[in-house]
Amino acid sequence: MTGRRHVRWSSVLLSALALVWLYPVVWTLANAIKSSADIYRAPWDVPWPPVLGNIGEAWSRGQLGVAMTNSVYVTAMTVTLVLILSVSAAYALTRLRPPFRAVLFLVVLAPLIVPTEVLIVPTFSMFRALGLIDSLPGLALTDVVASVSFATVILTGYFRTIPQEVIDAARVDGAGRLVVLLRIVVPLARPGIVAVAILVAVFTWNDFGGPLVLLQRPEVFTAPLAIGRFATLYATDQGLTFAGLAIVIVPPLLLFLVFRGSFLEGLTTGVVRR
Amino acid sequence: MLQATSVGHSHRERAIDLLFLLPMLAILLVFLVYPLAYGLVLSVHDTKGTDLTRFVGLDHYLHAILGDAVFQRSLLDTFLFTGVAVVLVTGLGLLLAVLVADMRRGRTFFLVVFFAPFVVAPVAVGAVWKFLFAPYFGIVPMVGSALGIDTLTVAPLADPGTALWAIMGAFLWRFAGLTMLVYLAGIRAIPREYDEQAVLEGAGRLQRFRWVTWPLLWPQTFTLVLLTTLGTLRIFDLVWVTTGGGPSHATETMATDIYTTAFRFLDVGYAQAMAMILLVLILSLAVVEYRILDRRAGAVSS
Repeated sequence: MTGRRHVRWSSVLLSALALVWLYPVVWTLANAIKSSADIYRAPWDVPWPPVLGNIGEAWSRGQLGVAMTNSVYVTAMTVTLVLILSVSAAYALTRLRPPFRAVLFLVVLAPLIVPTEVLIVPTFSMFRALGLIDSLPGLALTDVVASVSFATVILTGYFRTIPQEVIDAARVDGAGRLVVLLRIVVPLARPGIVAVAILVAVFTWNDFGGPLVLLQRPEVFTAPLAIGRFATLYATDQGLTFAGLAIVIVPPLLLFLVFRGSFLEGLTTGVVRR
Repeated sequence: MLQATSVGHSHRERAIDLLFLLPMLAILLVFLVYPLAYGLVLSVHDTKGTDLTRFVGLDHYLHAILGDAVFQRSLLDTFLFTGVAVVLVTGLGLLLAVLVADMRRGRTFFLVVFFAPFVVAPVAVGAVWKFLFAPYFGIVPMVGSALGIDTLTVAPLADPGTALWAIMGAFLWRFAGLTMLVYLAGIRAIPREYDEQAVLEGAGRLQRFRWVTWPLLWPQTFTLVLLTTLGTLRIFDLVWVTTGGGPSHATETMATDIYTTAFRFLDVGYAQAMAMILLVLILSLAVVEYRILDRRAGAVSS
């Protein structure tokens, strides 16, 4: 029974760490519904009854409604494009036999190694020449490049688990490539595709470096950009800033809580090489 | 192979297979290959706005490496931060994974708690941590003064001596859950018999970790060290929102220096030269690490 004492000791340590991890989020959410004065005066008080004034004011003053709409738009566009590109690429790389397959696989992985920071200056100048500054579809295209390799890697992992015999049988029966992809591969790899969609959505929603450079008019700001600006403008009004932060933090957290299963599974499948 | 020919793969068939890759390749050509090539051109020119004015050869590169104190500082900070971050975030993730794997109940709860910061926008993480470090109402100075730790009582982010390590706090908070997740999957994949056999042979808890768990987790360690290195060398958003590279360049990283130079000082050609140096460093470090770690991984699996 020596194991028992160890377990108890490790639960204590783990719970203490969990408190440290929870504190910043709980504190932010609590401060979002406190009056600015109470944030200083009563840091440990439970925010009850909640003061919702700051939430409303942050929403309107930070133009967060517009920013969230912009973010939803960019995120939806990016996820759709990434899915189309990565599903068909992963299909070709795992279940078809294109020429130079090994080389193409490396080419598709290249964006994993090339950081956005290296591309941002030339992309900015290209976008300026094309009039794509302040364009949300333009931003979405850069977000696509940032996620598409990662998505393809995860999907190849899932596609490889589909038995080749199933696919060959369908092909022998006369089904074309696209039919096999849409009728057999996509349904069988559905959990992987859902995981990829959620991961890409969260990454895109949170992107900061791209919008910072490519968006200049406040009307097209995405949520992280709006909140970054907001936090600087109202740095002295903590209550207002906390409210704004809470508004931006909550959607991805909710998405994560609801889809935590496919989220965690998608990441573990994708990250570790096989 | 036989099967491949029996289904019939002529040149024409394989060309059709290639069609499924074309959309991806087209996007990469326009948004990866072209910017890289144009970036190379930018980096050897003086610029006005985004227009090229004069060819200067490798002057920008030489100036950055030999004559630019801020860039040298950022290079040093970036490497220091990356080195420490890799060790701490993998160590912490491993600790969390071992502890969580040990729990009989509530695993999902702990998984969610430790992983949640990863889905919070870095810009928000930075802003929240800025407040955690703020004098008068942030918890870090509060705890610092309660414990009598001088460096924590004031404002760790505003002090050049501590600012970089204050950002490290936010970094670990955001990423430890990810490393935990990867290690946890590895731990679960270890056959139970290995551990039971070691217990029968009288191995203690630490010995079992050292001789069973740790070596079997090598593929995870390999991946995490590589990915953390690649991700951290380019660290930008957390730094940008907490300190912007200050105070007096104490937290300047290569990426913040590139952004500042390009978009605040509008020295686009020079900034791109720094970006190309960053790319070369990332590529060479990735190759070196891959070689070293891969050899070790081969030794474990054989």
